[in-house]
Amino acid sequence: MSQFLQATIYGLLQGGLLALIAVGFSLVWGVMNVVNLAHGSFVILGAYIGWKLNSAMGLDPFLGMLVAAVVLFAVGYVLQRWLINLVINGPIFITLLLTFGLDLLIVQGMNIAFSADYRSIKTSYAGDSLALGSVRVPVGRLLAFVIAVIVTFALVALVNRTRTGLSIMATGMDRGAARLMGIRARHAYALTFAIAAALAGMAGTMVGTVGTFNPAAAGGFTLLSFVIAVLGGLGNMYGALVGGLLIGLVEAWGGQYLPGTWVNALAFAVLVLVLIFRPSGLVGRAYYAARQEV
Amino acid sequence: MGSPATGRHTATDEARGTRADATEIVGSSRSAHEPVWRRWLPWGLLVLGALVMLGLQSQLYSGQERTVSAIFMFVALAQGWNIIGGFTGYASFGQVVFFGLGGYFTAVAMSHWGLNFWVSLAASGVVAALFGVLIGLPLLRLKGHYFAIATLGVAEGMREVVNNVPGLTGGGAGISIPTVGNQATTHYLGNDGFYLLYLVLALLAVAVGMLVSRNKFGFALRAIHQDEDAAAAVGINTTRAKVAAFALSGLLTGLVGSTYAFQQVTIFPERLFDVDITVLMVVMVVIGGSGTVLGPLLGAVALQYLSEWLRQNFTEVHTFILGGIIIAAVILLPQGAVNYVREARQSGEWSLLANVRRYRL
Repeated sequence: MSQFLQATIYGLLQGGLLALIAVGFSLVWGVMNVVNLAHGSFVILGAYIGWKLNSAMGLDPFLGMLVAAVVLFAVGYVLQRWLINLVINGPIFITLLLTFGLDLLIVQGMNIAFSADYRSIKTSYAGDSLALGSVRVPVGRLLAFVIAVIVTFALVALVNRTRTGLSIMATGMDRGAARLMGIRARHAYALTFAIAAALAGMAGTMVGTVGTFNPAAAGGFTLLSFVIAVLGGLGNMYGALVGGLLIGLVEAWGGQYLPGTWVNALAFAVLVLVLIFRPSGLVGRAYYAARQEV
Repeated sequence: MGSPATGRHTATDEARGTRADATEIVGSSRSAHEPVWRRWLPWGLLVLGALVMLGLQSQLYSGQERTVSAIFMFVALAQGWNIIGGFTGYASFGQVVFFGLGGYFTAVAMSHWGLNFWVSLAASGVVAALFGVLIGLPLLRLKGHYFAIATLGVAEGMREVVNNVPGLTGGGAGISIPTVGNQATTHYLGNDGFYLLYLVLALLAVAVGMLVSRNKFGFALRAIHQDEDAAAAVGINTTRAKVAAFALSGLLTGLVGSTYAFQQVTIFPERLFDVDITVLMVVMVVIGGSGTVLGPLLGAVALQYLSEWLRQNFTEVHTFILGGIIIAAVILLPQGAVNYVREARQSGEWSLLANVRRYRL
């Protein structure tokens, strides 16, 4: 029983972090209909920024993640504004290939700059754990979980309550109409992508604090973002949170009770089943699943 | 070729892709009125190409022979992907599942069941095609990104399945096909043999592409690409056509995977189900021109050659450069080289910058 509880706690904590990674991915997909294959590389880039700040200047990673967020915000804005916007009206393979090319560039760039060695950001406290009865809760993961959930809710508030956020949602719903209302679609798209990259970078620093990372890990985060975005569904900002927590739990339980590496197949089995039986996701809106892609 | 009456460059962004396809169909059906020699010209060129490649073989070192074999392999893979991704417009991002399935079926059949290679090769193709039907029936109801991701999920999941049944597949440690001694069911083909086999597969794939692009089945696929509801309304059984296209592309990919497994002797799940193989197929088709036969052929030859050249001359940074090239190609030639030339000849607009404006926001 305590094993089960331990796995559940671990899964929930991990799930919160995954949700923070996926929420930006899901936002970009929902608003611009772009599946960003470079998303995982933003996560790892954020991790390296936090790592560099920590090892060179001794900056605490939970402060360093703010720097990572700012840097990736700028990177994301520039990429969308002057690169991805160039092909945004193309067929889906075009944007998939463009972001795949970006992923190759960023991952290989990190390989050249930082080598393929595994790194982790060292702190004095992240490895400690609180005892909750028979269950142990690692402090670093708990902190990361709390921050991830707060930031996710902050993003939801931003999108639903501010003029900027509403302009993003409006552009996502009907770009033509939004432009007629005076919204600058190019800027709105760039902002969306920048927010997604910033959140990914922030999450990346926390990923590096609670575990290890190297450039090759980028692909795994992109795939998990896919699964979570589909599972939660698009068009509802809480979708990524629900999907992230669920995938965190499924993976933690699977790791506990399944032999071998069957747990890796589990996430994809869930993905395919959800797509077949409920293509709009668990809490998503049908509009996004049914929509015809140009 | 096309007439100016097709009314280009008038409507909004959304209609643009569709119009290019419409021109394509009109252009193809008009070929019925073309002189006979024009209809047979591509087949003549195919035979000529085959003869040239046979002659070339005697001029190559064994290293070069392997490089050219790899080019043939990607020609076949790109043509296979083009049937579902190019003609039908369903971006299969898990196409490598057929490659891996074909490879593993061959490895298991030859090492556990004692079948010879040629039987295994044929059976691998059939198994891959059947698998295409099996996953195509539920997944081809999905559209756009959802189909892409679902197939990706199938491929990743299949890799994990192969990883986790070590009794049959050897798991992560890989499986070896016996090629020498009494265990060997078929003698190893060697560089020369694989060159010929890959050449045959590439020719087969190109020939299938040519047949599909000109017959009724191919027109049904193109109609589905443009507007699936309209295609159904004119009496096309869209489900059957889509599943058949998926199975056919799976068949070609499975044959290549089977050959690849025998050539490698020892295979691993990480390589046989490598997402990068899928992405290479897609890049080759898109850069060359999706929905055409010449495009994937040229794209595969150009990209595989370039990639090999970069690997040899810029070993450290070749993937980095490849990423840059993919980005540049997608921005400058979003519709692919062949479609670009075809449209530019009709409209007289050769500027690549005009090309960039096409999908820009």
